[in-house]
Amino acid sequence: MSRFVFATAQYESGDWDSAPLVPANITDTIARYTSIEVAPSGAIVPLGSPDLFRFPFAFFTGHLPVRFTDAERANLRAYVERGGFLFVDDHNHDVDGQFHRTATEELQRILGPLRRLPNNHALYSCFFTFEDGPPTTSHELNGWGDNLVHRYLDAVERDGRVGVLYSNKDYSSEWNYHPQSKRLFAVDNTRFAVNVIVHALTR
Amino acid sequence: MNARERLRRARAVLIAGVAVCAVLWAVAAGTMVLSLFAALEAAVELPSGPRTLALPLAGFATVAALGAAGWRSRAVRSREAVALWIESRVPSLRYALVTLEDARTAGAAVEALEARVEGTTWRRPLSRALARALAGPAALAAAAILVLALLPPAAVARVGRPRLDADLTGPVRGRTARAPLAISVAVTPPAYTGERAFTLEDPAVVAAVSGSRVAIDVRSAGARLAARLGDSALAVGGTGGGGGGAGGRRTLAFAMPARPAALRFLAEAGERIVAIEPRPDSAPTVTLTLPDRDSVLRTATGVVPLSAEFADDYGLAAAWFEFIVSSGERESFTFRSGVLARAALDGARRADRRAALALDSLRLRPGDVMHLRAVATDRNDATGPGRGVSATRTFRVARAGEYDSIAVEGLPLFEGDTAAISQRMLIMLAEALERRRPRLARDVTVREARDIGRDQARLRRRVSDIIFARLGDEPSGEHAHAPGEPPDEDQARRANLTPEQLLAAADSATTIAAGAERPLDFAADETPVVAINRPLLEAYNAMWEAGRWLEIGEPDDALPHMRAALAAIQRARQAERLYLRGRPPTVVVDLAAARLAGDRSRARSGGREPRGALGWHRARLAARLDAALSAASGSALVDSLLLLRLDALDRWPGFAAALGRAVADLRAGRDATIALVRAREAVAGESRASPGLPAWEMLP
Repeated sequence: MSRFVFATAQYESGDWDSAPLVPANITDTIARYTSIEVAPSGAIVPLGSPDLFRFPFAFFTGHLPVRFTDAERANLRAYVERGGFLFVDDHNHDVDGQFHRTATEELQRILGPLRRLPNNHALYSCFFTFEDGPPTTSHELNGWGDNLVHRYLDAVERDGRVGVLYSNKDYSSEWNYHPQSKRLFAVDNTRFAVNVIVHALTR
Repeated sequence: MNARERLRRARAVLIAGVAVCAVLWAVAAGTMVLSLFAALEAAVELPSGPRTLALPLAGFATVAALGAAGWRSRAVRSREAVALWIESRVPSLRYALVTLEDARTAGAAVEALEARVEGTTWRRPLSRALARALAGPAALAAAAILVLALLPPAAVARVGRPRLDADLTGPVRGRTARAPLAISVAVTPPAYTGERAFTLEDPAVVAAVSGSRVAIDVRSAGARLAARLGDSALAVGGTGGGGGGAGGRRTLAFAMPARPAALRFLAEAGERIVAIEPRPDSAPTVTLTLPDRDSVLRTATGVVPLSAEFADDYGLAAAWFEFIVSSGERESFTFRSGVLARAALDGARRADRRAALALDSLRLRPGDVMHLRAVATDRNDATGPGRGVSATRTFRVARAGEYDSIAVEGLPLFEGDTAAISQRMLIMLAEALERRRPRLARDVTVREARDIGRDQARLRRRVSDIIFARLGDEPSGEHAHAPGEPPDEDQARRANLTPEQLLAAADSATTIAAGAERPLDFAADETPVVAINRPLLEAYNAMWEAGRWLEIGEPDDALPHMRAALAAIQRARQAERLYLRGRPPTVVVDLAAARLAGDRSRARSGGREPRGALGWHRARLAARLDAALSAASGSALVDSLLLLRLDALDRWPGFAAALGRAVADLRAGRDATIALVRAREAVAGESRASPGLPAWEMLP
């Protein structure tokens, strides 16, 4: 059984590497709470590369407009159809930013419409229990963005399985810190990542 | 008196002589040792340890010399040996004395031998031998005593009374705590300070301005009292109580010394140490506020305003400005000095003085240097006067040719060529010419086409600058040259290259490793440099082609190349929007630490870091503190701490202050633990706790 590797998707446009500390932080979280065999460092995989199929889970983030190449579109479509799980997070703090508009447009063009994921979905209870759905990030209320809490996540599902999980709650900012700094939090704000990954690996 | 009785008497005399000789050797040896230590003490003050060895060593030398001399003459105990000793010096006895001493000799032989001995005397040889044996040690002992007498009495006394100095510099060991003498100290500060006289009752520390008059009244001292301030004995006046009883009053006085010292009293009633701590009178502080910086004058004219601030702790006496002018050069210099605005300040503690220095009056010449400063003195007539000076300002008068030698580099010229017309504008001009061409004469068409061609060439050169600067070539890959001048060989070669050839040349020029099999992994096997420059290279060559057609007056044939150049420029602009990004660093998570399953061998228990090594002086002070605390108590401990404080006052004021608090606590009967702990920390450093969980510090 191979070890789980936290993969970050690299795409041609935009800033795919805007949250460089998230992989290490979530890897630390997985090791801390679960017995999943996990690699100590993450991997960067081009979205248009066949290497993408080596990773059942991929993290996708950025601030800037997203325009996929033809190879990236084809690869992403095949990835989701074959059982891959892409977690897309809008690194901006606004409602209708460049990333949100262009990324959702691209995803819908490739994979069909994004649908609201109900807050009683198994994703929210497969490891930790989040009764109110996706946990709120500090960036949703910090005055820089819309001052609105996004109550739901969106998803593209295939055969009852989540293929793309879309968030504009800015988990990229929320989780972008050194793992050692977790001890400074009263409640670990990366626990939701355990649910996402456990769900991705078990469904 | 028969022969045997005479022999016994001679033996007794010899035994007495041997004893005297041994005593003389012993005295000589002991005195020599003491003289040696006293001479060393006078030359270099011995530490207390070696000094206390003087008496034991002298005693050992005495006993050793005594024993050695006795052992060497041990034969004198035997009468036979004495008889033989006499026979050797009086040969006329012909062994009669030895034979008589033999127990087996009897009868008529005895009488015959007695008769022979009776006619012989040995008094003179005996006296001569004794005198010779005693002369050497007697002379040596006398010489040693003479040397000891010639050495400084203070040094001899310190060597001869080591306990006193051990008290002064070391812990008090085995001294019983006796009630200290009752003293009263009257301190009269120097008159210039304006401070009042004050009295201290039974103090442990007397602190006053240097030069103060200190008068001490010692009560209950008894008949005998000795006092020493540092190494100097003090004269004690007054009368004792008589018979060593209590109630006597003794007085002594001295001027507050310049450095801290221990005042030690020795009396029948007790002994006591008082720390004498002088407070120095600071020299005046002087700040020259004007002029506030050094300067170079082109001409030595005008007035230099002077301003200074003066301050002193007890009062200023006078203040003034000083200047020194040095003239000349190389090895010939002359100096002039002067004083400005001298004023008496009459004891003011702060003062400001202003003055003006007329440079014309100094008749300064080019090359002269003038130094300026402010000076003040205080009113210290006891140990001073103290003198304070300000920082020095320097004014130099420039020499005549000095400014001609300053090299000033001009700014580089602006290189922008704003006369270039854009490629889009050139196309519009060419299209307009082509539209007018049917109505124009051929020579006019050619002339106007060549005008467009010159602008095209100017724009091409700008593109060339960008390309070849990026490719690491010279800033301008295409050399500008005057009209009519033939292009150089390199330019001509480049002009004849196709875009593919030019790219190949650029590619080979930018391949990093000579033996590289292929360039960097870029799309279509291109290096990033070539990929970014390809559109500009295409534009460059298209401009060349368009220029050729324009040169021969064919704008319609030039236009496709001009449009191709514009399209290439547009592609290059879009390419410029791409930017290269580095890959983020790989962070390796310590999974074992996250799962609390790390290697315990790396963990350390919490503990204290060992203190760093102390310097010899601090180590000595720390050892003395430890020894004092372990060996003494009561007034002896107070005295030891006071002596330590005096030694530490100059270099370790924190330690001295903590010791002062400890002494105050001890004398007041309070718990001195905290003060002593602070003193220990001050001299030996604080211990530091180290964290016990290093795994949290950083990722491996």
